[in-house]
Order: sequence, then C-alpha cells, then structure tokens
Amino acid sequence: MSLIHFQILSAAMFSIGLYGVLARRNALLVLLSIEIMLNAVNINLVAFSSYAESAQDVGQIIAIFIITVAAAEVGLAMAIILRLFRDRSSVDLDDVDLMKW
Amino acid sequence: MDPISENLNNTGVQIAWVAPALGVLSFTLLVLFRKYLPQQGSFISIASMLASFGIFCYVLNSFMSSGGGVFSVEWFNIGTHSFTLGIIVDELSLVMLGLVTFVAANVQLFSIGYMKGDDSFGWYFAVHSLFAASMLMLVLSDNLLLLYMAWELVGVCSYLLIGFWYEKRSAAEAAKKAFVTTRIGDIGLLIGILLLYKATGTFNILDIFHAVSNGGVDSTILTSSLLLIFLGAMGKSAQFPLHVWLPDAMEGPTPVSALIHAATMVVAGVFLVARLFPIFTTTESTMFIISTVGLTTALLTAGIALVMTDLKRVLAYSTISHLGFMMLTLGSFGYTAALFHLITHAFAKALLFLCAGSIAHGTNDVRDIRQMGGLWRRMPVTSVVFSIGLFALAGIPPLSGFFSKDEVLVAILDNGNLLFFSLTVIAALLSSLYMARLFFLVVLGPLKTENEHAHESPLVMTVPLILLAFLSIFAGLIGPGFAGYSGIGDWLFFDKPHHYHINILVVTLSLFVGIGGFVLGWMIYYRGIYSASLISQKFSRLHNLLENKYYIDEFYQKLIDTVALAFARFLATFDRIVINDAAVNGTGRSVFLSGWRLRYLETGKVYNYALGMALGLVSIGLFWWFVVPSI
Amino acid sequence: MSLASIVFYILAFISISMVGVLALITTNYNLSLAETVFYILATVSLVGALGVVVTRNVIYASFLLLTSLMGVASIYLLLLAEFLALVQILIYGGAVIIVILFFIMLTRVHEVKSITDNSQKPFAFITSLLVFGLLLAGILNSNVEVGERSSVPFTELGNSLFTQWAVPFEVASLVLLIALIGAIVIARPKEDE
Repeated sequence: MSLIHFQILSAAMFSIGLYGVLARRNALLVLLSIEIMLNAVNINLVAFSSYAESAQDVGQIIAIFIITVAAAEVGLAMAIILRLFRDRSSVDLDDVDLMKW
Repeated sequence: MDPISENLNNTGVQIAWVAPALGVLSFTLLVLFRKYLPQQGSFISIASMLASFGIFCYVLNSFMSSGGGVFSVEWFNIGTHSFTLGIIVDELSLVMLGLVTFVAANVQLFSIGYMKGDDSFGWYFAVHSLFAASMLMLVLSDNLLLLYMAWELVGVCSYLLIGFWYEKRSAAEAAKKAFVTTRIGDIGLLIGILLLYKATGTFNILDIFHAVSNGGVDSTILTSSLLLIFLGAMGKSAQFPLHVWLPDAMEGPTPVSALIHAATMVVAGVFLVARLFPIFTTTESTMFIISTVGLTTALLTAGIALVMTDLKRVLAYSTISHLGFMMLTLGSFGYTAALFHLITHAFAKALLFLCAGSIAHGTNDVRDIRQMGGLWRRMPVTSVVFSIGLFALAGIPPLSGFFSKDEVLVAILDNGNLLFFSLTVIAALLSSLYMARLFFLVVLGPLKTENEHAHESPLVMTVPLILLAFLSIFAGLIGPGFAGYSGIGDWLFFDKPHHYHINILVVTLSLFVGIGGFVLGWMIYYRGIYSASLISQKFSRLHNLLENKYYIDEFYQKLIDTVALAFARFLATFDRIVINDAAVNGTGRSVFLSGWRLRYLETGKVYNYALGMALGLVSIGLFWWFVVPSI
Repeated sequence: MSLASIVFYILAFISISMVGVLALITTNYNLSLAETVFYILATVSLVGALGVVVTRNVIYASFLLLTSLMGVASIYLLLLAEFLALVQILIYGGAVIIVILFFIMLTRVHEVKSITDNSQKPFAFITSLLVFGLLLAGILNSNVEVGERSSVPFTELGNSLFTQWAVPFEVASLVLLIALIGAIVIARPKEDE
C-alpha cells in the first residue's frame, strides 16, 4: 500500500465531486459536492506528508487550513442559499439566471 | 561635334546658368508680389528676359574667343551614386539660348499689348518667366536627369498657359489633353533615360557618349532606350500620332501659341534628338523610324492644314508639319539642315502667330479666315509682316525659309532614299499651297463689311512683329555665310563640317515648289480659276477625311472609352464590392454577427460556467500532456 | 419489532459480515491488514461520495456525505495523522454537517419535490471522466521518492503551526471572522420584519 493508492483514491473522489458540482441542480447538493472535492484534496496532501520525507508537516498543516476555509465557506454559502431561498422559495439553480443574455 | 574643353577660366560658361535663374527669380517675385506691383509686375518679367538675352550675347562673345565648356556642381548623393547639376555651353545650346531668349522677349513685349486688361495679367507673366527659365534649363543642361526635370516643368507651364482662361470649358479640356498626350511620351522618355542610366551608369550626357563610343553598351538596350526617348520627343514635338494636342492648344492666348507651340517648347523634342545625336546615329533602325515618323507627320498634317478654316488652327497644323520636316531631316542625318530649319521656322512661325493675335486684336476677335480679307487696307503693318512670314515659310527666295528648305531637301536627297525625297517635295508643295491660301484669303481680296472698323495694333505689339520679320528675312543668310562670317555648317555640325553647297536640281525643285504653290494658290483662291468649293466637292471623301483630321480624335476617344474607362469601371466595382463591402463593412458585420450568435453562450446558469471552467482545465491538461513535450 | 431493534440487527449483521470479509480477504488474497483496511475504507468513502452525487433526496445526501467524511477521517488514521483525523471529525462531523442539517430543517427544502439533476448531466459525466483520466495520467507518470508511512509528532505540528506558519494561521482566523460577518450580513432579515 503505497502512495499511489492514496493518490488514486484522491483523484477518484475529486472526479466524483466534480461530477456532482456540474450535474446537480439543487444548490445545497452542489455545496455538498464541493465538500467532497475539498476532502479529496486533503487526502492527497496528508498522504504526501506521510510518505515523503521532504515535506513532513507541510501537508498536514495545509490540510488544516483547507478544513478551516472549507468550514468558513460552508457558512457563507449557507447564508447565500438562505437568501436565495427566502426571495424565491426555491433553491433551484435554473432560476438563478439573471445574468442571461 | 567638337570635343568640349573643360575650360573653367571661361567666364561665359560659368555665368550661363544665370539666364534661367533670372527667370526663376522673376517667377517667384511675380507670384509673391504681383498684387502690390504696378502693372502686376510684368516689367520684372520682361527685364529678366532682356537680361537673359544680354547674358546670351556675353556668352556668345566669350564662346567665340575661348570656346565652350561644361560647368557643374554637385547636387545630391544616393549611396555611392552622386548626381550633379550642370550646364553645357556648346554650339547647339548657344543657338537655342539665343533663340529662346530673343523670341520670348519679343513675345512678352507683344503680350503687354495683347493681354491688356486681363485680370490675371501678373500670373501670365509669372508663368511665362517660369517657362523661359525651364526651357533655358532644358537646353543648357548637361545631364539627362536635369533635362527631364526641365522637360516636365516646360510641360507644366504649357498646361498652365493653355488653360490660362480656365473658366472656359474648352480651354481646360485642351490643357488636360495637352498634358496627358505629352505624358504618354514622357513615360517613354523616363524609361529610356533610366535604361540608359542602367546601361552606362551615368546621367551625364558627355559621359554617356564616351560609354557608347567605347562600345560598352549592349546594342539592343541602346536601341530600345533611344526609341523610348524618341517617344518622348514625339509627344513633345507633336509627331503623328501624338500630334492631337497641338491644335487644341490654340485655346490658349495667342502669344502663348507663338512662344510655346511654335518656336520653343515643341522644338524640345527636335532639340533632344539633336543633343543625343551622337548615340542616335549609331543605331540605323532608330534613324529610319525617326525619319518615317517625321515624313508621315509632315505629309498628313499639311493636308489637314489645307482645309482648316480657323486661322490659328491652320498655323498649328503647319507647325506640326514643319516639325515633321525637322524630324525627317534629323532622321536622314541632316543635323545642320534640321537645326537651320528650326531657327528659321521659329522666327517665321512666331511672327505668324503674333500676327494672328494682332489681327484678332484689331478686328475685334475674328478668327475664321472666311471672315477675313483685304486686311491690308486697314492693318498695313500687320499685313506686310504677315506676308513676309508666309513667304518665308513657303520658301520664296531670298527669304530665310528658302535657304533652310533647300538645305532640308539636300540632306534628304543625300541620304539616298528617293521615295522619301519625292514625298517631301509633295509636302513642301502643300505647305507652300496653304501659305498661299492664307495670303490670298486674309491679306488680299475684298474687305468684308464687318471689318470696316478694324484698326492697326499699338506700337508695343507691332515692334516685336517688325523685329521678327527682320530676322525672317535675313536669318537665312547664316546658311551660306556672309560678310566674313562662315556659314552655319562650319560651326554647327555633327561629325564634320557641312559646307553649304548648291545642288542645282534641288534649288530648281524648291524654287518650283515654292513659287508654284503660290501660283496655284493665286489661281484657286484669288482668281477662282479652279473653284475651291468645286474641288472639295469632287474629292469630297478626301475633303471629309481632312476636315475631320482623319478621325484620330474620335479613335482616341473610343480607345479611352473602351480600355481606360472599362478598366476604371472594373476598379470601381472591385473597390466597392471587395474592399468596401467585403473587407471593411464585412469585418464589422462579422464581429456583430458572431457576437449575435455567441451571446447564447451566456446562459446565466452557474453550472454551465462551471462546466466551462472544467473543460478549460481539461484542455490545458491535454495541451500540457500532448503538445508541450513535442515542442 | 421496533425501529430501534431493526436498526440494531442491521448494524450487527454489517459488523459481523465485515469481520468475516476481513478474515476472508487477508487469508485468500494475501493482503496485509493495512491494505485490506484501506480498501474497505476507500470503498466506504467512494460509495458515500457517489451516493451524494446520485441521490435525489437532500437528507440522504447529507448523511451519505457524513459517511464519506468519516471514511476520510479513518484514512487519516491509517496515514498516522491522528490530530488531523480528530480535527476532521470535529469540524466536519460536528459543525459542517450540523449546519447543513439545520439549514434543511429550517427551510424545509425537502418538502418540495424537485428535480435534482440538471440538463448538462452527460457532459458533466464525460468531463469528470476526462479529469479523472488526466489526474491518473499525472499520477502514474510521476516519480516521487517514497518511503514508509511516518507520523508527525503532534508537538512538532503545533510548533510549526505557531512559528513557521504563524501568518497563514492568523489570516485563517481573519477568514473565519469575515465569513462570520458576511454570513450575518447576507442572511439578515429585512428591516421591517
């Protein structure tokens, strides 16, 4: 079980998350997919920090920061979606097209 | 030609360039200050002209004592080639210098009276000065580049003066026609000069002569460049078929016709051939072409002159015919004879044109010869000098024209072509005939009632006439020589002195032709023994052809319409469709249309944009993976 | 049978079968214990993630996300990063999921039946496959010197966090502050309410 396994796992989770971001219509579900992507990146970083000698603690520290920012971003995103929901009582992304041609 | 000595102690050579410079100075002063000067500054122009004549006398004097020379200064450099401004003073340029200054001074004097009361009096004299300056530069220049510059300037002045009364539509059209027709020749001249430069490496005329005589120039190149240069001469000297501009140029003021289109500008072509004679004579084919063109011109236009009814038009066609004689003589290796005829023709023709102006002035603008007649009763001085000019050109001895025409015939006969000789004799007969026609219809005959109040012209106009008439009578004597001065053949010659000798056959022939023409004219036009109208009816087809000038103008117009205008139409359509609609407007429209289509890309939905980002990432990745390693 | 007992029985079945599977795999496929555990945890994470992006129910999606994240925390443990696993469970399981569930409950999004997948599903599928392929190519062609799994001492982590990485640390706290303020401002009710 070497680094490659973790890397492939990370890549797979990233792609799954990407699919979720691109293919979902509910704003909330998009947010969840973004969380999946961020976690995939974290796995990659931590795997590197564990296996490679040259970057011992950097990976974990960056992963901590990513978690921090992800949490903050969830809070903000929630606020936005709340606002959206309040104004038109649906979180459908198809309705948010004011910047249309 | 004599070998020229580069004698820099010769002051005449060093100051000869002042003559054209005075003309330029006069032009500048008149253009800038003519509104503030009395009489719009015409006296400046005349003074400069007389001063130029004075310079000619000085140069002549110094030439006779210490010979000629060249004088040049450096002009500009392009890379390793350097170009000079320079003058040659030899017999040819001296003769032309004197001719131009004398005739120009006389014409300007005449113009004071003729152009009196015209609004653009000062501008007229300004362009006159410029013309004189450029003509002098043309005859004095020692390199082809300067000559070409002066050539073009002379053309410009001709354009300005023909179209002097530019409010008149016909005058503007005539000026345009003159410029465009001579342009056709000028293109040939330019290409010929450049070819010659490429072959010999220099513009300087004397250096070109050296290069050609050393045999360093390929004969095909030489022949083609000389033919092209002759094309330029054809345009300027109104040889057939580029003669069409000269009759129309009569729209300009009559003194202009006298100076430019009789005595000086139109002989520029003849002068050019004479100047480059050493290299023209090395190519047999060119000489033959020159003489053929000259003969054709002489013969055809003499016929037209016979049926024209406008006085100036008759004189114009006569000029073309005599220019043809000069070219023909040059083509037959008759250098001295051609130049001799040039001199006598210049005096006589200028005289005739000025008389036409005097007649128009005195009879309240009558120009049709059918409305003239018996003018000797009312305008004696003009009639007398007019007759002198007519006799001179017809070749009546002992006037100048007889000697020069005699020389011309001798030269052609010496060249050996009997066909040419006989055709020239016929042309000479025709020229005598139309001169006689003018004499009997204008000077003699009953006085028409409309001309009852005709009056003689003022002194300022008749004095030049008398001066020119004097020369028309006595200039012929320079042929055989008189009172210790040697004949013209002793000092103005090519290759070896040409002694004036009398060929009995030719003398009798030219006498017969000259006097016979007058007798014939007397019979037809004065006594009416053979009615002119009956003859024109009998040969009606020929008469029509002559009256319509062989329909050449119509042919040219059709050529322009089908070729030039069609091409212009094509270019216009191309410009409109391809350049304007497709390229310029099309570019704008395509941007607009692409924007119109591409705007649907902005759906406003976030996930669409996210897909775009992801695809961008993918493409960058693919690019990095596949393309970058192969670079 | 009550719901609790059904759940209990299902959980028991799952855990026993897992132990059985573990034994089977270690003996038959010659995998070490660590590898087997890794595969199981990876499956859990991936299945959870797949579930998030496929399901039509929002609540199912959030719980599947929770599962996936817990799987990720276990993987951190496998990688000998205990502190990070701790943080992961704490933050994600304890804060993020809670926030999401709160939102769902408060806005009652789940009561409105709606279409959860949008029109560009096929393109998204292709794109994600392409991205996965790209990443795979990058992974397989890289050569990084790899040693054995090593753990970072917790004290060293804390030390470097407050010395070498002090500035990003402070900035991160600023980010949190801004997010807090931003969330309040955006979600503020209207004045007259």
